Amino acid sequence: MGQTATPQAGSGGLTATEHRLSNGLRLILSEDHLTPVAAVCLWYDVGSRHESEDRTGLAHLFEHLMFQGSAQVKGNGHFELVQGAGGSLNGTTSFERTNYFETMPTHQLELALWLEADRMGSLLEALDQENLDNQRDVVKNERRQRYDNVPYGTAFEKLTAMVFPEGHPYHHTPIGSMEHLSAATLEDAQAFFRTYYAPSNAVLAVVGDIDPEQTLAWVEKYFGSIPNHEGKQPPRDGSLPDVLGAEQRVVIEEEVPSRALMAAYRLPEDGTREADAADLALTALGGGESSRLYNRLIRRDRLAVGAGFGMLRLAGAPSLGWLDVKASGGVEIPDIEAAVDEELKRFAEEGPSPEELERAQAQLEREWLDRLATVGGRADELCRYAVLFGDPQLALSATERILSITAEEVQAVAKERLRPDNRAALVYEPTEPSESTEDENEEGADQ
Amino acid sequence: MTFHPQPQAGQPKPWAFPAPDRSTLPNGLTVLTCHRPGQKVVAAEVSLAAPLAAEPDGLDGVATIMARAFSEGTDKHSAEEFAAELERAGATLDAHADHPGVRLSLEVPASRLAKGLGLLADALRAPAFPDSEVERLVGNRLDEIPHELANPGRRAAMALSADLFPATDRASRPRQGTEDTIKRIDAAAVRAFYEAHVRPATATAVIVGDLEGVDLGAIIADTLGAWTGNTAEPKPLPPVTADDHGRVVIVDRPGAVQTQLLIGRIGPDRHDRVWPAQVLGTYCLGGTLTSRLDRVLREEKGYTYGVRAFAQVLRSNADGTGAAMLAISGSVATEVTGPALEDTWTVLRTLAAEGLTDAERDVAVQNLVGVAPLKYETAAAVADTLADQVEQGLPDDYQAQQYARLAETGTVEATAAVVNAFPVDRLVTVLVGDAAQIEEPVRALGIGEVRVIKGV
Repeated sequence: MGQTATPQAGSGGLTATEHRLSNGLRLILSEDHLTPVAAVCLWYDVGSRHESEDRTGLAHLFEHLMFQGSAQVKGNGHFELVQGAGGSLNGTTSFERTNYFETMPTHQLELALWLEADRMGSLLEALDQENLDNQRDVVKNERRQRYDNVPYGTAFEKLTAMVFPEGHPYHHTPIGSMEHLSAATLEDAQAFFRTYYAPSNAVLAVVGDIDPEQTLAWVEKYFGSIPNHEGKQPPRDGSLPDVLGAEQRVVIEEEVPSRALMAAYRLPEDGTREADAADLALTALGGGESSRLYNRLIRRDRLAVGAGFGMLRLAGAPSLGWLDVKASGGVEIPDIEAAVDEELKRFAEEGPSPEELERAQAQLEREWLDRLATVGGRADELCRYAVLFGDPQLALSATERILSITAEEVQAVAKERLRPDNRAALVYEPTEPSESTEDENEEGADQ
Repeated sequence: MTFHPQPQAGQPKPWAFPAPDRSTLPNGLTVLTCHRPGQKVVAAEVSLAAPLAAEPDGLDGVATIMARAFSEGTDKHSAEEFAAELERAGATLDAHADHPGVRLSLEVPASRLAKGLGLLADALRAPAFPDSEVERLVGNRLDEIPHELANPGRRAAMALSADLFPATDRASRPRQGTEDTIKRIDAAAVRAFYEAHVRPATATAVIVGDLEGVDLGAIIADTLGAWTGNTAEPKPLPPVTADDHGRVVIVDRPGAVQTQLLIGRIGPDRHDRVWPAQVLGTYCLGGTLTSRLDRVLREEKGYTYGVRAFAQVLRSNADGTGAAMLAISGSVATEVTGPALEDTWTVLRTLAAEGLTDAERDVAVQNLVGVAPLKYETAAAVADTLADQVEQGLPDDYQAQQYARLAETGTVEATAAVVNAFPVDRLVTVLVGDAAQIEEPVRALGIGEVRVIKGV
């Protein structure tokens, strides 16, 4: 059921066709012969939002297990075969999905398809307690390295838990808790695979120097006989009021190098014009060295060593606007907060100037060009729009949508969302370096 | 499900690292250009012969402040206007100072290349270096230092450099200066460093991307061509020496849940014939999670999220007096620090005793050579490698030749290179972690004297 491959305006000449196998696997193909490489990207529609509240981190732990072998691939064979073929690969887990990807030299594309099909169809034949125990330790060290042993490392986790209330599917982050990682059993992992790793719960994109007919034939050959299985329940409802209703604030006293104000705002869900408008508002306010917060906090008032806004787009719950200000030596948080509030208020009252909107659009346009500059980036975006919004073609017109947003739309979203009563704030107050020799980490005894 | 045998590879398609066009402008600027079809974001790298070793005594960090001050206004724009103009062009401009010199990296959509290159050229040709902006950059830099010291990876790198290199060598001290030296920097010092070391005759611009329909010659002439300066030769970089007798430095961080490891010494750079063999052997030791170190430390023991071995060029001269930093890096859970180091040493000893296998060597070559078309898909990746070659005094076809040399390198050569690169009795081990928990187990390993220093 191929679709038309005529380039859309604003797509930079890129096209994509869509197909569906009888077992429900969706396939997207996009040709580009400029470089002899091809990307394979597989999105499973499962992320940390699908986890139960007593098994946080399971989706990500499971992602690690996907690299531990399957019926025809022994041990670390997935990594060995791809790298030995001159390819690169990885997998990542977020709130809303788990993705696996390989970029291969063109002549090794078939190998990547065979490998992905083998684990989609037969992972449980190789999965055992030893793999689980080993990767559990690896993931605990990933958690320590990326979050627990880094100043401010758990801020994201804390703010997420404030914006999304207890019981909400996005209340916990994909890395999960040490306690739940310790508790995960082989049966949990097996049940997770049987529930979520079904052909009909996945989208496969193959992008680059490909022959579409040949690629479709390979996909049919390797994936076509994988039986589909149903049983997946939809994730718990992620809808929430547009705004928090009252500011939430937590003060953390920790051994960090400077005071900091971090905050998260509930923003419109991804896939809407309002989300694009919010992205532009955050860019104008805190997206670079000509942004309002940079000019105010760093350039003029010299209150901060770094200040910026970022956006985490979410489709099944409010997106997050992400403020991060690290104080300059001696500066107090109330001074920073007053300046931030004043800038947000002024922006909500007057909206972006034409120049600000032009700059913000130019920045987001370049970010899109960057994302689409590699076949792997393109494959990931096609999967994203297919899984989250049901239409991969939307990836090719994303820039056009950003450029069509008006100043009024940007102002409206700022007015509605960037308000103190829609903010979860985390204030860091540094403590003196500890002289204690006690290990305060409760998981320390596990090893 | 129907299982099929593992498919065989198809016919490889030819790919070569791109050959740039090299020219020299009337002002002495060397220009390398490279057309990469489909790459709509153009990358421009400018390399200035302003190495850290050229910083005046007591002013460590002046090169960094200068690099940052390039985007703080010109003879045409104020600092705020300059930032706004760049962003209006959809461009980013980064600048940083390192041992070989100062690098400016511009990325801009091809449709706005003239505008982006114009701003870059203005910054080089006529930087304003306003007193107040330099003062702000100095204050900002001072504020950054505690954040760097709190980062385990950065802290380990600083401690290793301080221990490995003689105190007289600039490489022994933090690249971006210390509180004491940064405090002494002002606009006059930045201006003086600029006057002494920044001129087109000793600089190279590398421009890569989809240049179809772009009148590149005219754009370059109008922008970078307008930059002027004298034609004095740059001073050669000083040779690199280091004391690598085996020892351990623990940077104490009470309560740390992990220990950051950095185990290093210096060794050959790209001018040495052994480089390809060293790249190959180092990959087999710790290039990926199926290399020897992670096979044990991660995939067997679960001690770490990952440990890597690498060689990173520090300073490089065509006369061969430069060097690369050779290192093993990663973090391990606090309570297994001793066992993880013991396993690391066992891996190294086994490698020295038994050598690499032919199968390991083959997989490494297939990866290192095979990934080239992926690695160099973007304009920025190509521009970065071309600029590195220029900085290190290498020919423009170095990377292209490197792939041929890697393919010719045998198991025996790769083994010899990696064993020479990581001799177990000549490694300086830096551990950033909880001394109270890790000191005794590490002493018991007998991998050299152990010294504990304060974390901050």
